[in-house]
Amino acid sequence: MKKAVALVLMLLLGACLLSALSGIPQAEYRLLHGEAPARIVQHGMDDTGAVNLVTGVLFDYRSFDTLGESTVIFTAVAGIMMLFLPGQVPLAGKGLSSMAKRSVDLLLPFVLIVGLYVISHGHISPGGGFQGGTIWATLTILMCIVYGTQFESQFIEYDAKKTLESAAAVALLLVGAVALFAGYPFLSNLAAGFPGGTPGQLVSAGHIPWLNAAVGMKVAAGLSLIFFSMVKKKSGEG
Amino acid sequence: MTFAHLIMLGLFLLGFWCVLTETDLIKIVVGFNIMEASLLLLLVKMAYVPGGRPPILFPAAPDAAKIVDPIPQALTLTAIVIGAATTALMLSLIVQLHRHYGTTDLDELREIR
Repeated sequence: MKKAVALVLMLLLGACLLSALSGIPQAEYRLLHGEAPARIVQHGMDDTGAVNLVTGVLFDYRSFDTLGESTVIFTAVAGIMMLFLPGQVPLAGKGLSSMAKRSVDLLLPFVLIVGLYVISHGHISPGGGFQGGTIWATLTILMCIVYGTQFESQFIEYDAKKTLESAAAVALLLVGAVALFAGYPFLSNLAAGFPGGTPGQLVSAGHIPWLNAAVGMKVAAGLSLIFFSMVKKKSGEG
Repeated sequence: MTFAHLIMLGLFLLGFWCVLTETDLIKIVVGFNIMEASLLLLLVKMAYVPGGRPPILFPAAPDAAKIVDPIPQALTLTAIVIGAATTALMLSLIVQLHRHYGTTDLDELREIR
């Protein structure tokens, strides 16, 4: 009975979506909505100083949207930490074999460097704060699995991660506020006097590398906090 | 409408079916994620230009007519991040439910209540 109702609903939705999709013309989006994409493709590099136009859109044209996006992560982390209230001690795992531990030791500096590269080259090559931050968060999750939660919690303290995440959020707002003091709208980039540099150089694109660094720290600390909150258990439980 | 749109439609309906009929909460979250993936596919499809190049003007700018639209790609990135955040929140709620009731099955949860 339930499945029959679900099937009818699904077919109805499918018919609606099919008629909506068949209304999409064959020509691609950029040709349909010509002006904004065409402007970004032609002038994006001069406007933002970033050769990676996706990063340019994300941290310059739509930087306010990105601020909201990082607020969403912040809210999710806050909600998850509220669900798993403090006072619960980490589950003491023994971790995996010594061979796995040595392999992670060898891997650790390289993963750190890859994360740093992806964050710092966000305005030049594919990548940026969100991706690089995720790579860094993977590192703490890997440590947590291989060495056990007890070790991980000593290695990178819980409070340090919380402070890092909040500090990164404040840094994001401060970089945006610099433009306000220069007399320009919140989060404006080159117009507010951030040095543009030569597009394609590591030090270029105004405030984009700064925002990338802040977002990277925020995502790394946030995802690590989410994982760590989830593997915690109350001291009494088995 | 193209073949990619049909795949997107199929994926979306698959996720919808999963959300409607499954009773296990984890599988419902998987269904939500399948629906989300289909929408991301639609966004990326909209940005695509036949024979397109990535929107990175380095070391040399590709032919301007071949560069794919960067705006939907940036929106996709935003959607992925928000999807990850909501998935994490859903999963933590399920973890707490499992700790309190010992099950993630909706029917069993209704009986317990």
